[in-house]
Formats: sequence, C-alpha cells, structure tokens
Amino acid sequence: MATRKVRYKKLSVKTPLAVLREDQIDPTEYESLTNEAQIATGVEQAEENEYHLQAVLQSAGVAADKEIPVPPPQESALNYDELYARPFSKTSTYIRFSQTVEESIGCMYDMTADDVVFLKSYNQKRHAGAQLSEDDFERIMDVFEATSELKAPYASIDQTIVPYDEMLQGLQELDKAKLMPHAKEIYEYWKSRRQALNNQPLHPTLKFERHLESDDADPYVCFRRREVRQTRKTRARDVQSAEKLKRLRKELEEGRQLVLAAHNREVLKAEMLKADRAIFELRAQLKEHKIRLGIKTDDEDLINQKRRKAPEAPAVQRPPAPAQLRIAVRPDGRSAEADLSLLSDRLAEKENELRADIEKKVQSHNEWNRDHLDLTRGPLSPVQWPRRSAGFRPAKTQYLITPPASVSSVSLDEPTPMELDKPHPLQSVFKFRGVARDEQSRENPPLYRRRIGRLNRLWIDRRGLASPPRDVDAEVLDRWKYDQSSDDEDDRPMYEVDPFDTNALRFRASIPLPPWMTNRGATPHARPPLPPPQQQPQPHPATQPQPQPQPQPQPQPQPQPQPQPQPQQQPQPQPQPSQIPPQAQAAA
Amino acid sequence: MGNNGANGEAEVGSDGPRQKGRATPDTLKVGCIALVLKDGQFRRAEILSIKETKSGRQFYCNFDNFNKRLDEWVPISRIDFDQDVEWPNPEKDKQKDAKSKKTAPVSKKSQPSKKAQKKVGKREQSVASEGQTPHPWTEFVESQTKPDGEDKANASLELGATPNVGPDEMELDEDETPASAAKKEHTQPFSREQEIEKLRTSGSMTQNPAEIARIRNISKVEFGRYVLFPWYFSPYPEAFSQEDCIYICEFCLSYYADLTSFKRHRMKCTLLHPPGNEIYRDDFVSFFEIDGRRQRTWCRNLCLLSKMFLDHKTLYYDVDPFLFYVMTSRDEKGSHIIGYFSKEKESADGYNVACILTLPQYQRKGYGRLLIQFSYELSKIEGKLGSPEKPLSDLGLLSYRQYWSENIIDLLLGYSEREEKCTIEGIASHLAMTTQDVEHTLQALKMQVYHKGEHKIVIPEKLVQQREKSRAKQRRVIDPSRIQWKPPVFTAASRTWGW
Ligand SMILES: [Zn+2]
Repeated sequence: MATRKVRYKKLSVKTPLAVLREDQIDPTEYESLTNEAQIATGVEQAEENEYHLQAVLQSAGVAADKEIPVPPPQESALNYDELYARPFSKTSTYIRFSQTVEESIGCMYDMTADDVVFLKSYNQKRHAGAQLSEDDFERIMDVFEATSELKAPYASIDQTIVPYDEMLQGLQELDKAKLMPHAKEIYEYWKSRRQALNNQPLHPTLKFERHLESDDADPYVCFRRREVRQTRKTRARDVQSAEKLKRLRKELEEGRQLVLAAHNREVLKAEMLKADRAIFELRAQLKEHKIRLGIKTDDEDLINQKRRKAPEAPAVQRPPAPAQLRIAVRPDGRSAEADLSLLSDRLAEKENELRADIEKKVQSHNEWNRDHLDLTRGPLSPVQWPRRSAGFRPAKTQYLITPPASVSSVSLDEPTPMELDKPHPLQSVFKFRGVARDEQSRENPPLYRRRIGRLNRLWIDRRGLASPPRDVDAEVLDRWKYDQSSDDEDDRPMYEVDPFDTNALRFRASIPLPPWMTNRGATPHARPPLPPPQQQPQPHPATQPQPQPQPQPQPQPQPQPQPQPQPQQQPQPQPQPSQIPPQAQAAA
Repeated sequence: MGNNGANGEAEVGSDGPRQKGRATPDTLKVGCIALVLKDGQFRRAEILSIKETKSGRQFYCNFDNFNKRLDEWVPISRIDFDQDVEWPNPEKDKQKDAKSKKTAPVSKKSQPSKKAQKKVGKREQSVASEGQTPHPWTEFVESQTKPDGEDKANASLELGATPNVGPDEMELDEDETPASAAKKEHTQPFSREQEIEKLRTSGSMTQNPAEIARIRNISKVEFGRYVLFPWYFSPYPEAFSQEDCIYICEFCLSYYADLTSFKRHRMKCTLLHPPGNEIYRDDFVSFFEIDGRRQRTWCRNLCLLSKMFLDHKTLYYDVDPFLFYVMTSRDEKGSHIIGYFSKEKESADGYNVACILTLPQYQRKGYGRLLIQFSYELSKIEGKLGSPEKPLSDLGLLSYRQYWSENIIDLLLGYSEREEKCTIEGIASHLAMTTQDVEHTLQALKMQVYHKGEHKIVIPEKLVQQREKSRAKQRRVIDPSRIQWKPPVFTAASRTWGW
C-alpha cells in the first residue's frame, strides 16, 4: 500500500530473481510491487478508464469470461458461392505471388446498375451481330475514365470534359474493328454520366491530398505521401556523389576488364592446347619416320622439352616445389610422360629449395638480431633503441675520418657492473652483425660499417651490394640444406655446441682477449659475469654463454698495426655459408 | 458525477465548466451533453450529430467512459429531458460550425446516383443511413452487459456515483493526487498543430481529432460470408457514407457501393489469396508477407477496411513504409483473411507491430494470439526485442496482456521447478519481448514482489490454474519451424526512392 511505502532497492533487469510459487512464501512477508503509476498500459490515456476495459483489467486475467462487448458480425445473406465462384486449389509449396490488384482484375471499370439499364436499351436498337457486350462496354468506359484522369486530373474542379478526339488514342489499343463503331455513342453516354456527377470519376474514389489548405482538417483525405526529408544540396555532397559514381564506374569497368581478360585467357588456352596437340602429332610423325628409317630413338622425341626449362626456374619460389610443380604441369595439357623428371628440373627444384632455405635463414637471423644493439660507435652517444641499421652509414665518396684516440674512450665505454648485471636480451652463442636484408639492399644505396673483429681485424660490412651469381653445385647446396632441421622453421637456429669439448676449449683458448679487457683486468673471461663465478657452468648449450664478442665491441681501431682495411667479402644478397662464423664450423 | 481527476477525454466534454440548463428535443444541439439511456441506465453522452428519420429525430451519442464503438443513434425517447443538459462552450461551438460548413458542400457534390440524390442535404443527413440500417448492436450490448449489472453491486466498478474510481485508484495515497492532476493536464486534447506535428515526427497512429472522424460513416459491410458492422470512421469515398451497405471483395478488398458493380468485379477478380508470398503454413492458417510499396492498392484497401475496427489507426500517410503480415485460413474458395499486423520496414523505436487486427468475424477464437505470437517469432528470427506500437486499443491491450502473461508464466514455472533464478532480461530475450513489457506484465499480474530485502517473483496459484485450464483447451500455436522467412533488407535508397 502506498501509505507504508518502503524504499526498495532499485531493480535492474539483470538482477537474478528467485521464482517462487505462491505457497512457497508467506504472503504477509512480502509486498507486491504494483502500484498504478508503474503500470503504463499503453492504451490511450483517455481510454484507460473506459468501463469495459477496466472491468476486464480489474479481474487481472482471473475471470477470463469477462470481455469487452463489440458489435457482432452476421452471416451474409448474399449467395457466397455465386459471388465467389472461382475454385482455389491448394498448392503443395508456399505461394509466391507478386501480381498487383490491378493486374489481377484486368479491366478496372465495373458496370453500375445504371450502366446495365443503358446497355440494355442500347443493344435493343441493334441487331444481334452489332450488339455490345458488357465486357466491351466496360473496356470502352475504362479508356474514357483512364484518359480523363490522365488528361484532366482536376476535372471535378475545372469541369473539363476530355473531348472525344483525345480519347481516340486510348481506344487504338482495343479491338478496333469490334469496338470503334460503338465508341462515339458510348462516349456521349459517358459524358452525360460525368456531367451528372459534377464531372467526378464514375467510381467513387478516395480523397487524396490536393495540397489545399483544407486537406489537413479533412479526415477523408488519406494516404498522403510522407515528406521525404530533402537532403540538402551542398558542394560537399555533390563531390561525394560524384566520387561515388566515379568509383562505381571504375569498379564496373574493372569487372568488365576482368571478364574480358578471362575470356582472352581461355581463348589462349584453347590455342595452346591446339598447338600442343599439333606439336605432339608432328613428333609422333617424326618418330614414325625415324622408326621407318631405322634411326634409333627413345621417347624423348615425344616430349616437349625446350619449352619447360625456361619458365619454371625463376618462377617458383616456394619451398615445397616438387609436388606443386607436377600438379601445375598437368593442367597445361601435357601428357603423362611429362611426369618423367628431367635433370634440369631436378636442379631447378633443388636450387629453389635452397633459395627458400636461405631465405628462411636470413629471416631467422634477422629475427634473431632484431633487438641487438650495436653500440660500436659513439661511446657517448645516447642509446637509440631500437635502431635497425645501427652503425651503418650510406656510402659516400669521402675519406674516412681519422678515428679518435681510443684509450680514454675505452675506459668510458667499459660496462659498469650494473650494466653487466642486466640480463642481456640475447643469450645466443653467435652474434651476427650486418646481415643484409634483401629488400632493403635493393632499394637502398649500399651501406658500409666498419668494425673491429677478433684478432683486431678490421671488418668492413657492406650492405646493399649485389654479389655475383654463383655457380650452383648441387652437392654443395645440399650440404647446407641439411644443416638445419626444417620442421621448426620459425625457431631461431640453435647450434649444438658442447662448450667443454676439448676442441672447442682449445679454440677458445686461442682467442686473445680484447685489449680493453686485459687492460682493465676486469674479468678473466671474455664474457659478462652472468653466471656467478661460484656457480659451476652447466653444460647446457642454451643457457651457456659462449665466448663471444662483447655486446659493446670497440669501434676504435687498436694500436696494433692494421694499416689497411681488409675487405672481407660479405656475400650479398643472401647470406652464404661463409657468413657463419668459424665457431659454428668448429663446433659442428 | 464524473468528477474524478484522472479522467481525460473518455469523459465527454471535459473542456472546462459548462453552462447547464433544461433542453427540449428541438433545442438540443450538437455538442450538448445529455443523460441518455444505455444498458438500462442513464449515462452522460455527448451529442455528436443530429438527423431526421421517418421515425423522428435521432441523435448520435458518445457515452461517458464507453468506447467509441458503442456510440449509437438514439431516438428522443431515450434522452432524459427532465435533467439539466450541459451546453457546449461557445468557442468549441464555433469550431464545430466551421467544420460543418466546410464539409456540407462536399457531401452535396458527391451524389453518385439518383438513389443517393434523394438523401442530399445538410451534414447531419450525410450520415443518415446509420439509423435506418437495422443494427443488431443495441440489443447485443444489452444482453452482454446485463450479467455485468449484477456484478456491479459488489465490484467497485459501480458507475453510479463514482464511475471512474477503480480499486487501484482508491489505493492511491493522498500525496499522489498531484500526480494524477498532472496527468489530467497532460491528457488535454492536442492542438491541431501538435497533432500534425506528432503525425509527422512519430509513428503511424494517433487520434484524429476532426469531428467528422468521430462519427461512424459506414454502417454495414458485406464482406465474404459475413456482414460486418463497423465500429469507427474510415475514409472510404465520401459518397459511401450515404449508403446503407457497402460491398468489399474478400480477396482484393476493393470496395463498392453498387451491388451490380461489385458483382461485375467478382466476375473479373482473380485473386484468391493476399497478393504476396506465403511465409508460413500449417494445417490451420497461413501467413503472407505483403510490401506496402509493391502492393499499394491492396494495402490501402486493407487499411481502409481495418480502420473501421481500429480507432487509433490513422490513414494520414501512405502504406509504402510498411510490410503487412496477413493471416489467412484456407478452404476450397481461397485463403480468407482472418487478420493482419503491419510492421514498419525500419522502426526507429524498435516496434515489431504497428497495427494489429483480427477481423470481427474471427475475434474471440484465439487468432489474435497467433498474430501476436507470429510477430514475436519474426522478431526472434531478426534477433531483436520487439514491442507493439502505442497506443494500443483496449482489445489490443487485453490480447497482448494475455499473450505476455501466458508465455511469462510458462517460462517462470520452468524456472521455479528447476529452482533457478531468472532475470527480467533473460525473460525478455527468451520471448523477444522488451524488458519494459516484461516488467509491465509482472507488475500487472502482481508477480513482482519485495521480500526480505530482495526482489522476487511470485507466481499466483490462480494464474497457474488458469494457465492449465487454457492449455487443456489445446490452443493452436505457431510452429516456428514452418516459417520460411528472411528479414527483408531495405536500403536507405529503396526506402526513400523505391530503388
Ligand atoms: Zn476482388
């Protein structure tokens, strides 16, 4: 009850509600959340209180026998079967239908009782052969009415009666020979009917809007056109529309071109098939001749050899070439003999495989080096992170500047214990630097980087230089192919190295420590003190840091005699086996 | 009497205080409010029109708190001239005069036949046929409402002294009265400008305030196997209002005042079902989908027909933006229209029904529920929550309430058996109903309760029993698997230009 109103918690539509039967809950304990204000019935407010509606609503669906009284319909006294004579046969499928009412009726003029009287007297004056049927009468009247509506839409206002001459055009479409003799006389009758009705249509019509002021107040005016909100014409909109049309035009044109191209392709294919067949037949002839002439020959003669070499070698780039190649061959219309592999094919395949593998390696190397920071240059320069081609500079015709004095900068550059404590992002055995990227080297000018390598060798890394093509030796290529397992291609290459292998130990021992290390005497080993000294290094290759160049190698040339740069060929564009540092080979 | 505040327009002549005084049959004029005998009682009634018949003067009366479909022509003998009559306010009177003047010449102009010419005259006579046609209505109402009369003694619906105060309103607290006063202000009749504006900006339905539209203009309709007695005004050709009876083709819904024309039409008309695609069929009914734009004539005809039974439908605008879903029953003569609902091709307010009607000859047979269910099945296919456009008619409200409550109760009984909790949102999405409609139903059935600091739902036993009873009646339902329908897509251009 409204008097003891409690403030309820707000009910959200997402609140889970317990659902109880009436007998599961004590009626004195709860309160119905029903008050009139909350129930909007959706009925026009003025009618909400209507007696009969309230009577039913009060019962809240309990007394279902309460109903709102309505005037009851009755059975018609007309003869239904006569009026609705057409039979309806049920279709087995759902009906689909789009004919309009007009199309379903045909002639829209229906004779009135007055018309029947007129036609009867009209026909009485005529002999049987010249009489006008009801259907034809309606057809003629229909033309008059339709023409009148078309030519004098405001006939009832301006009292225009369309003259007979103007009706002729519409009558042309009827069965002239049969109807024209009647037309004039029927016109006079039609005219008299129209005049009797204030020149209104003979069939009562709905009142549509006439854009008069009285329209709005007139309840008989119905089915107005809904005002379409005019999109305002602006320059921007015009441009927009023009753009849309242009695009549409372009897309349609593209579609057309596509169809044309497809057609051309098929025509060419057909020609090619024809040519292939001709060639094959000629070859067969040749073979026959050869046999007849006693020249020894094998099936090679039947195979179209030359054509196949050329397109395939450069075209295929993907690794799983063999299967694809063969499948690709068949639709070309070649005979089954084409499946016989040729040496040149094999070689091409191998080369493709190798290329693919190399590509993969390059990628994985790039990946591996992605976050590698080469702080070779500019010891005081701020860390630029991440910088892709660190240390590389575009080649310019310019003499190298004399490098600055080294010693002082060395001390500055020495990693502090703090820095060294930081886990190095890459804990890999090998470091590749200056691996060229294909795509870059092609678009970019050649780049050079100078660095000091092991044994104080000066390295010039070049990037963006094309290397001369090499002769592919299948054996040599194969060797590298199996250096890496191809099933986990995405993984970084992991080279199994046993750091305690005697050879490896010996090799490492032969590497002189960089001078900046020996100068300071910081660590006995040439590696960051990541594994604490007391901890015994585990023979796990992944976690075992190898003797590797420090992440911050010295950019400065050392006092050792190194007069001229040793141009070490870095093969471009693909990394070649020689790029893999000697450690790898030693360990392998 | 009739002094309750929250009364609105249902109470006749609610536009302020009126002058009172005695009247005679000759001085009683349009706009007066008199006491008129209806269902064995004298009720306040507004005189909307006056006409002369062979049997004497007749008055078209709209009764206080009765739906307009109960309006009727009454002879002098049913009016109590011993009581004061409320005279129309001068201003309102002027408006009315203006309107009568405007319409009178029009009806003079439209004289379709000699037969009609005899009836030509003042505006009052343009509705002359109403009383001359034997109308089964008065007797029916009397027989219908007599049992109710007995109820009135114990029900609080007694209309004698406080006709409008239902039990709910009596529960209202004192401090809620301002609210109902505000409500009254709110329900003041719209101005014409507001009305037009409302029509332009909002949905398709509202009341048509024009006086002519308050008076039933068609008295009798031959439609298929039935004779229908219209309830409300419908803008058929003006000349039709002078006819005793009009004829409507059951299949193309074309209308004729002349029986000969109608018969001629029937010989030519080839339609045997609504002119659209069948999208549902079971042993009992079929549904057809009809595009208002493609089938403009048919849909206009359907609207004219349905307007005779829908008060708040307006035919102000054309049918193009609507789809019509027509339910039919099949026999060897064709697919006969039972009812339909219309639906906006794109509803900004999320309505899934604009107008809904079961034709009178099929009412009270459970067809309305099938129509409503079908509208929700379509919403389910669309993946939308739907609600009917407001205002609902009284009959529409009752049908919807019944559908909503039965479906919600079925759902809740399942929850209660499984001892699961449910949310209003869950019910709504399961039934494709809006959450407002769910809450509305729960509250109307007094099922939403507050118990020990928690919101809960209680299913009243009475409703459970009633549901079991109605289930035992084996009501027909729509089988969703038989619907062959994809939501039609209309581009902005096609809605605007019909591309
Ligand atoms: Zn028809």
